[in-house]
Amino acid sequence: MAVIRTEKLCKVYNPDTIPVHALRDVSIEIQKGEFTSLVGPSGSGKTTLLNMLGALDMPSSGKSWIGDVEVTSLTDKERINFRLHNIGFVFQHYNLIPVFTAKENVSFIMLLQGVDPKTISERADELLEQVGLGDRKDSRPSQLSGGQQQRVAVARALASEPQFILADEPTANLDTKAAMNLLDLMQKMNEEQKVTFVFSTHDQRVISRARRVITLVDGALYSDKEQEPKIVLEPK
Amino acid sequence: MKILLTIAWRNIWRNKGRSGALLAAIIIGLWAGVFTVSLMGGMLDQRINFMIESEITHLQIHHPDYRIERAVDMFIPNTIEIREWLEEREEIHSFTKRVLSDGMLQSPVKTSGVRIIGINEVSERKTTTFHENLRKGSYLEGDIRNAILIGEKLANDHRLEIGQRLVLTFERTDGELSSGAFNIAGIFRTGSTQYDERNVIVRSSDLMSLLSSYEVYHEIAVLLKDVDNATYIVEEINHNFEGIEAKTWNELSPELGTLVALGGFMLFLVTMIIMLALAFGILNSMLMALFERIREIGMLLSIGMSRLRVFSMFILEAVILTIVGAIFGILLAVLSINFFARNGVNLEMFAGGIEEIGWPTVIYPEITAEEFTYIVIIVILMTILASLYPAWKAFRVNPMEIEKDT
Repeated sequence: MAVIRTEKLCKVYNPDTIPVHALRDVSIEIQKGEFTSLVGPSGSGKTTLLNMLGALDMPSSGKSWIGDVEVTSLTDKERINFRLHNIGFVFQHYNLIPVFTAKENVSFIMLLQGVDPKTISERADELLEQVGLGDRKDSRPSQLSGGQQQRVAVARALASEPQFILADEPTANLDTKAAMNLLDLMQKMNEEQKVTFVFSTHDQRVISRARRVITLVDGALYSDKEQEPKIVLEPK
Repeated sequence: MKILLTIAWRNIWRNKGRSGALLAAIIIGLWAGVFTVSLMGGMLDQRINFMIESEITHLQIHHPDYRIERAVDMFIPNTIEIREWLEEREEIHSFTKRVLSDGMLQSPVKTSGVRIIGINEVSERKTTTFHENLRKGSYLEGDIRNAILIGEKLANDHRLEIGQRLVLTFERTDGELSSGAFNIAGIFRTGSTQYDERNVIVRSSDLMSLLSSYEVYHEIAVLLKDVDNATYIVEEINHNFEGIEAKTWNELSPELGTLVALGGFMLFLVTMIIMLALAFGILNSMLMALFERIREIGMLLSIGMSRLRVFSMFILEAVILTIVGAIFGILLAVLSINFFARNGVNLEMFAGGIEEIGWPTVIYPEITAEEFTYIVIIVILMTILASLYPAWKAFRVNPMEIEKDT
């Protein structure tokens, strides 16, 4: 069964005044263990689609499923709870909680899930070790570099044991070295632990690592291709 | 809950400047509310106590029509029975009988209309604190014949000094006019220049001998051990004796009752103004905090924190700040009230003239436990109410706010 499935997703902003068609009949399926990039020029609908896949926004028409749950039929409250248990997020600006340490940031989502404290502590330590920040677990975000913060964000996204991780422009604010380290880390997790990653990006370094590239143009699906991952050092 | 408390507590201190200012606003707001109420309460109490202790006392007995007609022949008909009754009652601290007359005061300089109050110096001293107002000379206990005490203002107006004589002219009980020469034994100054200008004090025996051929008393002033008994003692007196009328202090001086009511209203008004200013300060700070953290809230909602938890987080921040602020505010208020209750707040340099109209210039703040609690509750409620709107805005944040550029 597909982890993500959408059926003729449409999103129209300002339908009553000047309608803007952000998505037009987008139907895709993403299987478990995929490493997929959503690409396209600015305004092509990448972020809108990512928001739909992440159950953050509702389509104007069409349906989407995560696992066997039709998320487009859930209420706002149900979607929040669904996200907590099923979707991991990595944001462009890292968006860690500034008053928490790296370990607390990773633990936070498990606390929201109601996991017992002992398990939380062990798993947070383990995840920070995995992302190479075992020695920085007591540092606050302001004491970490951009690359380190984004790795904490990846650990946080993994902490809830989600069905997949959505990453919106994860390398946009990182230098080449930090971006490469992050991509290596995510690729390793994808290959070794079969973690499903979906990126929205126009960074060539990310696109080249993906095994599948979905291209959107003017809100519509333009192409959907599989490719052999390779390493590119330049962002464009 | 623990995680919410942790995040709320740390959020408070992420912007120390703003939280410090907010905390200061709560502390100062609470202190200002409590101190203003205690200052005004002290001022009112001092004024009322002054009026009660220096002249009115807790209750008075008159002829039923005397207070309206003020006629000299409207005296209390049964003073002996009333005196015996009052002497037997345990609730009575002391009482004093007075002879009253309106008359003319003549000096070589001019003539003034005055109220002549004849007192028994011994019982008056036990019942009122009027003797404490004496500024020069002696009270009426000396051997001076037809001794009189006059107010400082009256003495200045008439250029009179101790030892000089003046003439009082008034109506006798038989309707004839009578005059008598009185020797100035002392000069008093009460809190009110109006009172000092219009009242003179003589011995009741001296005044009575000129006023009537028989014993007359127009007023019996009674001091109780507990002011709260005034109403029922008055009811008993009115029930037991005919031809007289007893009234409590607030019936005798309705302006004092009005003052208490008005004072209460003013206190409420001042407290509400301070609290509203505080509430808007808090609202402003909380809204700023919300707008600064809107992307963070978007992130929290994205990763699965419920809207109720986000709402609770904001309310908790306000509650924690209020509790911390209230503790320091209460401490500051208690310390300052204790200090000024002992040393007084001298308002002379700000409002020297208020003494002229009978208000004290040195105020000793006082506040009841109920008033204190009421203000603390109002501050806490105001803070929480003021945080409801920002918390509601946080509750309504769209998780996609996270995508907005900083």
